Amino acid sequence: MNNEKVLCLTDLTMSFGNKRVLNGVNLEVYKGQIIGYIGPNGAGKSTTVKIMLGLIEGYHGTIEIFGENIARGDFAYKRKIGYVPETAEVYDNLTACEYLTFTGELFGLSSVEAEKKAFNLMKEFNLESVFHQRLSSFSKGMRQKVLIISSLLHDPDLLFFDEPLSGLDANSVMIIKEILNQLAARGKTIFYSSHIMDVVEKISNRIILLVEGRVVADGTFAELQAQNKEGTLEEIFNQITGINNHKEIAEKFVGIVSEGSNHG
Amino acid sequence: MDDFKSLQVLDRFKWIFQKFHIDYEIMRKILQLKLTMDGRRMPTVFNGSKVKKEGNQFIKSLWMYGFLGLLTLTPFLFLGDQFIFFTSIMMSILMFILMTLMVSDFSAVLLDVRDKNILHSKPISTITINAAKIVHILIYMFLLTGSFVAIPLVVSIFKHGIGFALIFAIEIIFIGCLVVVLTAFVYLFILRFFSGEKLKDIINYVQIFLSIAVIVGYQLVARSFEIVNLNISYTFDWWHLLLPPIWFGAPFELLLNKDFSFHIILLTIFAVLTPIFSVMLYIRLMPAFERNLVKLLSDSNRKKKKSRKIAKLWSKVLCRTTEEQTFFSFSSLMMKQERDLKLKIYPQLGIASIFPFIFLFNDIRMDSYEVAVTGNGFMFVYFSLLMIPNVVHMLKFSSNFKGHWIYRAAPIENEFSIYRSTLKACIVNYFLPVYFLVSAIFIYIFSVRIIPDLLIVLLVAIAMTLFAYVVLNGETYPFSNTHEHSQDISTFKVLGSILFIGIFALVHFFVLKITYGIYVYMILLVIGNVIGWRLVFPRKIKKIQVL
Repeated sequence: MNNEKVLCLTDLTMSFGNKRVLNGVNLEVYKGQIIGYIGPNGAGKSTTVKIMLGLIEGYHGTIEIFGENIARGDFAYKRKIGYVPETAEVYDNLTACEYLTFTGELFGLSSVEAEKKAFNLMKEFNLESVFHQRLSSFSKGMRQKVLIISSLLHDPDLLFFDEPLSGLDANSVMIIKEILNQLAARGKTIFYSSHIMDVVEKISNRIILLVEGRVVADGTFAELQAQNKEGTLEEIFNQITGINNHKEIAEKFVGIVSEGSNHG
Repeated sequence: MDDFKSLQVLDRFKWIFQKFHIDYEIMRKILQLKLTMDGRRMPTVFNGSKVKKEGNQFIKSLWMYGFLGLLTLTPFLFLGDQFIFFTSIMMSILMFILMTLMVSDFSAVLLDVRDKNILHSKPISTITINAAKIVHILIYMFLLTGSFVAIPLVVSIFKHGIGFALIFAIEIIFIGCLVVVLTAFVYLFILRFFSGEKLKDIINYVQIFLSIAVIVGYQLVARSFEIVNLNISYTFDWWHLLLPPIWFGAPFELLLNKDFSFHIILLTIFAVLTPIFSVMLYIRLMPAFERNLVKLLSDSNRKKKKSRKIAKLWSKVLCRTTEEQTFFSFSSLMMKQERDLKLKIYPQLGIASIFPFIFLFNDIRMDSYEVAVTGNGFMFVYFSLLMIPNVVHMLKFSSNFKGHWIYRAAPIENEFSIYRSTLKACIVNYFLPVYFLVSAIFIYIFSVRIIPDLLIVLLVAIAMTLFAYVVLNGETYPFSNTHEHSQDISTFKVLGSILFIGIFALVHFFVLKITYGIYVYMILLVIGNVIGWRLVFPRKIKKIQVL
């Protein structure tokens, strides 16, 4: 693997009001890595990504992307980044063509180039027939595909994918997984956060576990397995996050569910 | 959740529903939920006014409808004894208003697709769900029609007696049913042949039209009293059978004037039977309607790109950097395609194009036309500038405001290009059409001598846009806030903009007295605009300082 450093977080902290979301995250990411960024709900995964993209301001610590400290306000680093946000928020009164051309142009493509590339990519997802329809009529999965396309139009070097597979069918999931693999093989770096453990386990070559705004585990799947003596990533996840009482919780839950049935 | 008065009234009629095997308790629960949700919706009539979002806005808007009814219906009650003539006029007004209101405010109820996922998955019989839907609409129709006709109804008792009022009241119920069913049929028809997006567009235009009609209506009604003194006698023609308002005029003739001629009886039969048949047909076709509702989420099978050559041309002419051009076309698309935005802004454009003429007509009525056209009446064009602050303010909002992450995730060289190009797009897409329309008619009235003056108005408008942006928006991304926060801008700021326009109009007025003064003024305005826009939107790259 290449040793070029793409991303470097040092002592990253972030608070919203009194609530501390990130408690000193330290991280170095190298070219060609696929990083599975996992953690329980509210651990600060999306916040980390948003800070790196400049969507959220007011953090402490330093962030270097492509060797540049982003606090200097030079926007140019964003040109080499692709982003799929967790919630599929788009200006959905636009058509797929209009939206993709717009985002492509924002990243420096000409409108003709952007439109052509967008159409070709849509075609690969079998979406060419809806290219000129409004996004508001799209299903969740279709929107997700449009967002993935919009993040890749400008051939970025660093990808932030926040739950990119939500709403996609099994077939599309396989395609996206393969796309990620091939992109990484071409030297792209992928920062991938998800809750679906077996996907993370399979595609990532490095897994970072974030709990309460702190990195608590970092390594390849094999390394994590060796440290924790557990089988799947899911089990490792539960062990590290300290939640091993899932059986009791489930029991209680089911107990409440069937409580009323005596009366019926 | 509150217990609603309307539901308590409904409880009295429980037996009717039970007769039709409708689960009344469930239906009541659904209605209660829906009424609670409606309490959080805004009716179109209140659009843009300063109302706090508490309680059922609809109930509060009933006062407006009552007032509207007083203004539009009562005058006709004093129109002589030939009932069929003025009752037909009243009925057509009533049908028109109910129909537009139905489309603008209750489309959400009629076209609610969420019902399908939420309610149809529960163990509730289809007939109960459908009944809930119909009753939901009827409750509103009842309240709305009730408040609309309340005053005319009372007046009619005194003017024409109890019998008249009774027929009036019964007919209103029939008309209400007919309107609901007719609207549903129109939707069914559109959905059958067009896409859901098209239907939403049509509904949007009706809403816009209604908002304009209400405002213009106030102006016209005030004048309608003058032309109301007509005495026309009614003669029957076969095509009157095609006009529902005339059907509803006939029973008055039949029962009160004892006119037993064949055509009156025929029209009366139509008035009674069509609503009943249409309701029966509606119940029959309900499943088909529900099936077609699924299409609501679809877009037409558009395969071709819409050509946007003119927008492209404008962006090339007005924007220097490609970044600006990109945002220019983006903003133009948003302005043309976002329905909520259009609903808020287009009525303003309508008013802006009508206002100058309302004042001009007043002027002409006072002097003669010949005197007016040689005077300075063209200065009324300045009234169309009053919309600019409101429109600029609205640019901050979008119903998809969450999509604005894209501004930040993208490598934008100069943030100012976003604001600058959005303002330019606003002038091109919103102001210029109004300006050209008004100018063309004014040039026709006042002759070409006013062209230099109109150019000055344009320059003032451009300055005004910038001014409004600085005062109202500051550096907020366009389309990045939810409409819920879009309170009306304060009166203070509106007064400020009137003052701003007033000063410019005054200066304009004075320079007219100086020979060639107007051309000097024009040059000064051009220079002022260039400097102003440069100052507010520097071309230098702005570095953002982050802690």
